[in-house]
Amino acid sequence: MITTAGRSTILGAARAGVGLRSPHIAEVMRTRPAVPWFEVHAENYMSGGPTVRVLEQIRQDYPISIHGVGLSLGSADGLDARHLTRLKRLVERLEPVLVSEHLAWSIANGAYLNHLLPLVYTEETFEIVCRNVEHAQTVLGRRILVENPASYLRFAGSSIPEPEFLTAVVRRTGCGLLCDVNNIYVTSQNFDHNPVIYLEGLPVDVVGEMHLAGHTINDADGQPMLIDDHGAPVSQAVWELFTLAIARFGPVPTLIEWDTNIPAFAVLVAEASKADRLLATSRRGTTDADVE
Amino acid sequence: MPTWSELQASFTRALLQDDAAVAGAVLGDGLEPEARIALYRHHVFTTLTAVLKAAYPVVCRLVDGRFFAYAADCYIRQHPPAGPCLFEYGASFARFLATFPACCDLVYLPDVAWLEWAIHAAWYAEDAVPLDCECLRGIAPDDLARLTFTYDPSVSYVSSPWPIDRIWHTNQPDADPGETVCLEAGAVDLEVRRLDNEVTWRSLARGTFAFRATLAEHRPLAEAFDAALTADPAFDLTTALPELFAEGLVVAVGPAR
Repeated sequence: MITTAGRSTILGAARAGVGLRSPHIAEVMRTRPAVPWFEVHAENYMSGGPTVRVLEQIRQDYPISIHGVGLSLGSADGLDARHLTRLKRLVERLEPVLVSEHLAWSIANGAYLNHLLPLVYTEETFEIVCRNVEHAQTVLGRRILVENPASYLRFAGSSIPEPEFLTAVVRRTGCGLLCDVNNIYVTSQNFDHNPVIYLEGLPVDVVGEMHLAGHTINDADGQPMLIDDHGAPVSQAVWELFTLAIARFGPVPTLIEWDTNIPAFAVLVAEASKADRLLATSRRGTTDADVE
Repeated sequence: MPTWSELQASFTRALLQDDAAVAGAVLGDGLEPEARIALYRHHVFTTLTAVLKAAYPVVCRLVDGRFFAYAADCYIRQHPPAGPCLFEYGASFARFLATFPACCDLVYLPDVAWLEWAIHAAWYAEDAVPLDCECLRGIAPDDLARLTFTYDPSVSYVSSPWPIDRIWHTNQPDADPGETVCLEAGAVDLEVRRLDNEVTWRSLARGTFAFRATLAEHRPLAEAFDAALTADPAFDLTTALPELFAEGLVVAVGPAR
């Protein structure tokens, strides 16, 4: 049992971890790399068999963060009871240091659309999201972190700015925030907003984790559309925003996510080391961290 | 203004059925709202198609990638995932292919898909601890006849009038490209399961298959014995029953429902 040690490693020293993806698992098992922690997608480990047993072995040596992608906190119908039960079982089995989900929805009318779909931000959806977050936290018996989404569309009916909506959810439910720096950048670029203003709209005391990832820039009828595909190195602009995020939130555990065009494991480790240097600079009290 | 529940239903129809109604609720922000919705639709369909391709590599190879993508597109629209665990998605693809007019000439295709799903599902099945044959000791013969069995969750039984085992083997990446399969090679009765972290499958004798497949449907022992005798009059229950346990197939025993 390493829960206590694991918790202090990841939360105390605020190191940069790596998203654990299947092409790298054999290498991780074989080499036991010096990575401070791993994050996994909950839905990939809700089966029986070798997949989850291997993760249990990795869990013996590394703190694990569980990142859900299918709870659908924005569903008007409430949470899928079976899925929440499976998440609870996984949390009990792996004793993760962090559990997180998204401000998004993916389930409606019994169909699961495998995407983090956008919400309209209104009083009605605020109540729905809060009810769902509270339900999840009650069943899991712990606080969860909720991640800001990357968006490609906005609903005309939205009446609350996204950072304000997230802040209100945090205040009402007691959940924490997972600040995805790349998502802030992607969303801001797609709607011609200032990402720094978004960042400054988030409360400082509740960010329990940050995410960093790469994106691609597509052409949409002549205008750039940033896609949060987690398929490239973290962009320079996102590193710069990350520096501002550290200055605002302090050094919190940070994850390198890479889900498409997955490169050699060493590439992820190098990205995490870069994030680590910025976190360490902040811990030493320097504010003008050097971004290469 | 629609409720959030209505908007979600409308957005779902926009993604799965190209219904245009939700576009009126979406800001263009310099683009057609539909172009923004299409980004989400594209992601949903490409990732789900990839999920199906990963579960059905032999079917994909048999029909080629473009036809597979077309079949997957139709399947996804008619049968979107019911839950977020995508390793469970695609269980009904074999049944869908059996009624998909565009590939009705490939009579063996649905059964190949059935075998691939059995292999896929075996890998992800829940773990269970097998029972020892000793659990039957002391049960009166009449009660024994009414017993039902629960198998290891990874186990399934696949039968086909086509040689789907040979089709599967000759369509593996490392197979000899010159090898061919004679479709008249005959029927197969297969048992698929996960054993020691590997999915294995093998052909069973007709009587054994009938016996085990009947029990797999939670039908009582007497009924399974009858089915086995029908398939093979020489079927020997005194050997077949202990074999179930010796092979670690049975994880629970209960009275008939």
